[in-house]
Amino acid sequence: MLEIRNLHAAYGKAEVLRGVEIAVEPGEVVCLIGRNGVGKSSTMKSIVRDQIAVTGGEILFEGASLAGLRPHEVIRRGVGYVPEDRRVFASLSVLENLRVPRHVAAQDRRRWTVEEVFQLFPQLHDYRHRKAGVMSGGEQQMLSIARALLTCPKLLLLDEPHEGLAPKIAEEVVDAILELKREGVSMIISEQALGTIRRCADRVYVIDRGATVWNGTVEGFYADPEITRKYLMVQ
Amino acid sequence: MTDPRILWAQVARAAVNWKLIAPLLIAVEALNWLAPASTSTMLTEIAILALFAASLNLLMSFGHMVSFGHAAYFGLGAYGFTLAVVRAGLPPEAALLAGPMVAALGGLIFGALCVRLTEIYFAMLTLACAQITYTVLFQWYDFTGGDTGITGFMTPRLGLSEAGYASFALWTVVLAVLALWVIVKSPLGLMIRAVGQDRARAEALGLGARKVQLTAFVIAAFFAGIAGTLYAVLHGSAFPDYAGLSLTLDGLIMVVLGGLNSFAGGIWGAVIYQLLSTFVPKVIHEWELVLGFVLLGICLAMPHGFVGLLKRLGLGRKGGK
Repeated sequence: MLEIRNLHAAYGKAEVLRGVEIAVEPGEVVCLIGRNGVGKSSTMKSIVRDQIAVTGGEILFEGASLAGLRPHEVIRRGVGYVPEDRRVFASLSVLENLRVPRHVAAQDRRRWTVEEVFQLFPQLHDYRHRKAGVMSGGEQQMLSIARALLTCPKLLLLDEPHEGLAPKIAEEVVDAILELKREGVSMIISEQALGTIRRCADRVYVIDRGATVWNGTVEGFYADPEITRKYLMVQ
Repeated sequence: MTDPRILWAQVARAAVNWKLIAPLLIAVEALNWLAPASTSTMLTEIAILALFAASLNLLMSFGHMVSFGHAAYFGLGAYGFTLAVVRAGLPPEAALLAGPMVAALGGLIFGALCVRLTEIYFAMLTLACAQITYTVLFQWYDFTGGDTGITGFMTPRLGLSEAGYASFALWTVVLAVLALWVIVKSPLGLMIRAVGQDRARAEALGLGARKVQLTAFVIAAFFAGIAGTLYAVLHGSAFPDYAGLSLTLDGLIMVVLGGLNSFAGGIWGAVIYQLLSTFVPKVIHEWELVLGFVLLGICLAMPHGFVGLLKRLGLGRKGGK
């Protein structure tokens, strides 16, 4: 479904990605792992062309290159994106936030409705007339995921979905991710919580200093403690 | 497309507001027909400028696009109408549509350039486009009449009395503002607001930000063109100043005075600004000084303008937009 080959990307003149290689199969959940600042978010931004310049390599989605596309064109191809900072439209209500992406046509894929995302996140239904800006971080995260689903993605990118969330709310987000996995939504999740990786991921990519340094199954990842020690622990 | 039931529910909710607006409109109409002709002319100008400010407000409050050149589309509306009569030989009644169409075309051409940039660079491009428009109107003597403008080509007000034309202008403006309100509440309006708040985020939800902004720009230009056309008909003339920087600044002041981030802000701002500019100079010669202090007070003490004050007093609609 998605194949990233030797990806290089930069913010201005500062190169942040220097050879990322990732492949995602349909229905698969892939976790990107690595310390802060190694390039996980930049990899996701490169896929959707979100304020980063891809300077080399290739990103293929369903066999077609995403090169030269603007962010909204990538989204319309079927890539949903939930950024790390959520970026809800603060002055719009929850319902209005959910109506913004509804115009992305999706004839050949699962079409999510507002009612369905309310079933996935019942709190959003309760707060549907509330301004998004006054909601808690967890509720904003749910809204951000729900909104991305309404773009009818074939592949969903979740950047640090648990960042800054209380454990109980984080658990609800994990439940939602597992529900999406059961629905067959392919996902790339940037994640640091090892428990979440064990529950959600099919495969793991370890990123370090802007490049993919290890990839394999979740079982393989947990079978080799050296990987965690070398690439995740603070040295 | 919008679910018609949702749109209808919004119209029905707005109908509650009509309980307040309808008596106000009836009072204005009564004043128009009972007061002297000069009052009717003043009411006409207020209505026209209210539409102009409302169209600018669409860009500023909802699209978060600050335009330093919105008068260009007022001027293009006025000249579009005037030239359709003078150069194309259309009867004035038939030429009424030409003004807004020319303004919208101008909005499409200039907007396509302006929306390529954001923030201050966007504002500077709008200013540049407006100055180009003004200079062409000012210098092209053979076609636009140059700095002397075009006068005497028709009976002012389409031959209607001052009160008759004020009534025509008032109800035209009411319909135009209602159309703007429906646009703001429509899915397109939601997209304009989303792109205005966070362009990158809106793009990450599949919206073509430039296309949405350009659409907003053209709509705002169209409605400013209606205002310009009504103004040209009122005076039976068109001058380059209609597209000048001064009118743009007036519009910006109106929107801030009435209250940013509110649909009614531009309209209230135009009413207050016109009343102040009409009556204050009769008492104090240095009226701009008074305006300066009023603006200082608004910006420092009431950043949400007159509408914000109404809300604080419990008289306005809750929810702003």
